[in-house]
Amino acid sequence: MFRTGLICIFLSSLVLAKSKESFRAAPPSQNGVPASPTVFYERNTSGLTSDISVIVMTGSLEDPIDKVGLSNLVAEMVLRGTKKKSRDKFQSELERMGGTLSANVSLDTIQFSGSVIKENNKKFLALLEEALLQPAFNEKDFQELKREILNDIVHVKNSNGRLGGLAARREIFKGTPLERSGFGSQSTVEKITLADVQRRYNDYFDRPKIVFAAAAPFPESEMLDAFSNIWRQFPDGKRPAKKMVNLKVPEKPTLIVVDKPKTSTGSLFFAQAGISIQDPDRYTLNTGNFSFGGEPLVSRLFRIVRGELGWTYAIGSSYSTLGGLSGQQGLYTISSTPSVEYTSKTIFKILDMWKSYLNEGLSSDELELAKDSLINSYPFEFDTAAKRVSHKLTSFLYNIPILSPEEYAEKIGEISNRKLKSALKEKQKANGWVIALVADKDVVNKDLEEYQKDIPKEERLTISKVYTPDELVN
Amino acid sequence: MLLNGKFLLSAEYEKIAEKKLFNGEVLSEFKLPNGLKVIFLPRHEAKVLTFQTWFDIGSLDEKMDTKLKKTGLAHLFEHMMFRGTDKYPDGKFDELTSRMGSEKQNATTYFYRTNYYESVPSNQLKKLLELESDRMANLKLDGALLEKEKGAVVGELRRALDNPGRIAWDELNRTVFEVAPFRYTVIGTEEEIKGFTLEEAQYFYKTFYAPNNATIIVVGDTSEEELMKWIVKYYGDMKAQEIPRYKMPDEPNQKKERRVEKTHPQATSDILLVGYRIPAVNSEDIVPLSLLSTHLSTGMEARLRKSLVDTGIAVSAGCGVSNVPDYLEFSVSLSEKHKAEEALSIIDREVSLLKSQMIKKDDFERALNQELLSLYNMIEDNSSMANMLGDYLMVSGNYMRGFEIIDQFKKLKTTDLKAVAKKYLNKESRSVVIVRPQPKKSSRS
Repeated sequence: MFRTGLICIFLSSLVLAKSKESFRAAPPSQNGVPASPTVFYERNTSGLTSDISVIVMTGSLEDPIDKVGLSNLVAEMVLRGTKKKSRDKFQSELERMGGTLSANVSLDTIQFSGSVIKENNKKFLALLEEALLQPAFNEKDFQELKREILNDIVHVKNSNGRLGGLAARREIFKGTPLERSGFGSQSTVEKITLADVQRRYNDYFDRPKIVFAAAAPFPESEMLDAFSNIWRQFPDGKRPAKKMVNLKVPEKPTLIVVDKPKTSTGSLFFAQAGISIQDPDRYTLNTGNFSFGGEPLVSRLFRIVRGELGWTYAIGSSYSTLGGLSGQQGLYTISSTPSVEYTSKTIFKILDMWKSYLNEGLSSDELELAKDSLINSYPFEFDTAAKRVSHKLTSFLYNIPILSPEEYAEKIGEISNRKLKSALKEKQKANGWVIALVADKDVVNKDLEEYQKDIPKEERLTISKVYTPDELVN
Repeated sequence: MLLNGKFLLSAEYEKIAEKKLFNGEVLSEFKLPNGLKVIFLPRHEAKVLTFQTWFDIGSLDEKMDTKLKKTGLAHLFEHMMFRGTDKYPDGKFDELTSRMGSEKQNATTYFYRTNYYESVPSNQLKKLLELESDRMANLKLDGALLEKEKGAVVGELRRALDNPGRIAWDELNRTVFEVAPFRYTVIGTEEEIKGFTLEEAQYFYKTFYAPNNATIIVVGDTSEEELMKWIVKYYGDMKAQEIPRYKMPDEPNQKKERRVEKTHPQATSDILLVGYRIPAVNSEDIVPLSLLSTHLSTGMEARLRKSLVDTGIAVSAGCGVSNVPDYLEFSVSLSEKHKAEEALSIIDREVSLLKSQMIKKDDFERALNQELLSLYNMIEDNSSMANMLGDYLMVSGNYMRGFEIIDQFKKLKTTDLKAVAKKYLNKESRSVVIVRPQPKKSSRS
């Protein structure tokens, strides 16, 4: 539904029960430079809160390689006080009105998300406007924020799961901003100055890069006027340039260990090249993955490695999409936390099961299970106003259609095992794994030797690199 | 069915209550002759519903049970509930619920309860009730499957043992309670898990998984008529059991501070937990204590965040009311260069301020509105709403208790917060647990 120069998709809460038309993708802007703000809004008349997001189309992929974490610092600094209000006054006002406001940075977006009790919607919008347009960028607040982020980065050493992910990144995204998490590392965050933050804000917070999304109990005109008022005050600019990085995938399974003495479990993280969010095979590969490892309790990995063998409590796999604006190739990952004595067995079992999946695809039962489950659970994708708005937003940002239940059922229904095998053959590698294992390196070494004693030395899987937790956060 | 203010009693089920919530929604409570309770909140925004079964059994009961006297079986048994019946053998329950499009399907066990939950498209209600009732009445306990499941549970235990924060929490429970079975972990020890027998599992199932020990909670797109028709069909024939009830041993009054320090090989910085004994959830004092904890820990303006995280001393700092076990818990993850003692002295300072001064009107308003925001966000989601009802039912016997607490917040005065701080936040009734990194080996050694 269009309203006075605004691009607005207004969704009724009966969207699923009505027609396919309700799923229209947002009309594209002209020449990449919109003449009015893009707003996705659904009025939720029974809602007790307003849920509001402002998306700026820039993210950590734009960070200089020696200053990864800059986008995150910019996002956080926007919420640390305004030219009129100190950080304390701003935050106190926000929280006193029953509101929250936080920032989340992905590869290609900074998303400010807030929620407020409906009685204070107007006050919240005024505060949001002030934060976005008049951030204080105060040096003292900046130094405090840096210290806080550096403490958080160092604290990642306590999380074996996250350490595994960081180790895999170092290999697959070597030499790119993605070799570190979007928060950056100690060395990159240390280098960032307040001037960097101010420059980045000036260069990227402009009209063409800003999109609004909200679900609230108010008439759309009220919300659209507020968003339009905010948007008009930003300078003009350009749509973000597409940016991508190439993945470095090994030819054979490459084992990296993050040395953590005396663990009683090993934290395993397999990663290889995946697909982009727009990949035409995404429905097929996600359906296959559902029954291979994606769905707890019923997937093949879960049923066998946990259910039959009892080697681990948790095991699962997923496609993670990165940088949707640019069509960046994402990752395919398998993770598990086997008891330490089963670590080697679990690695080789996963590799065997992966090869079998790659060659044979799924059994007809597994495929039908995945299809039934995905089709029948599709209503949950749209069961709240916030989810419906979020889907519209994703569809607009990444240029992917939202399918009606009928279209989705048709799309999933036509997937065959032949189609799956063909997509797997084209998009996935049998051996191109980086395997990050967080565990005691001496125990891993011994266990690997024992497990592979009957295999010729040149064919054995050995540790190719050992990181300390300190190295990964630095 | 509400007729002229009186509830209609049928032979099949009784409607025992109807409650109007603050947002206008109306929930109903039913009871079957076999004792099974049902709480139902209709919502028709989307054609989905959440279904949960809450059993009034947790690790406390098994530790006190004269035939078991150990912990871990309630949790291991929760895993076994997914391992099949004669009609639907191992794996079939998961397969069929997955095929019907279930979401968030899982189960959890805690000190005082075990719950099973999933959300499904509403047209799958009948099939779901058939499956859920089948495993509640006809579970086939198989020795080989029990042994396999023990492996997964040992994996779960070991993963927890690698987590210094989890170890600190276990230690806090062991320190606060000298007698009560909260001092034993819900998951049990590796020895206990490996030692459970098929006979013990069968005894546990027959004794505690009875309709009169269970409450079903449904939130979502169905009607009372439809729901109760299938509930009666699938659960109506189950027989009530005599459920053993054990009196928790009286915990002696704490007269001086207890303090425990440990090291953990995976810890990279200090962890501090402090537990102050407080009354049970039905006490009036829980209302000001809850708002006090919000004042201390919710939001960027929370006192603990400002004094511990903003200053760089800690990575995170929180405070919350724990019900069953009953204590007010402070938790702090220190940053690497700082020690737990620094955080403890700051907590002492904050507690001292709470006792000596009124909190400001603005801070009071902030805490209250943050509580409302949290509640509003929570109840919007079907499964979160069901969780809130179920959890309060299990800890207090009153599923409306969460709403009552929020309602009573509005009647509080700042003097009430000061009064409970003085009454409960005293050193002699607290326990302190510090978990530190293991000392690094000297390069010369």
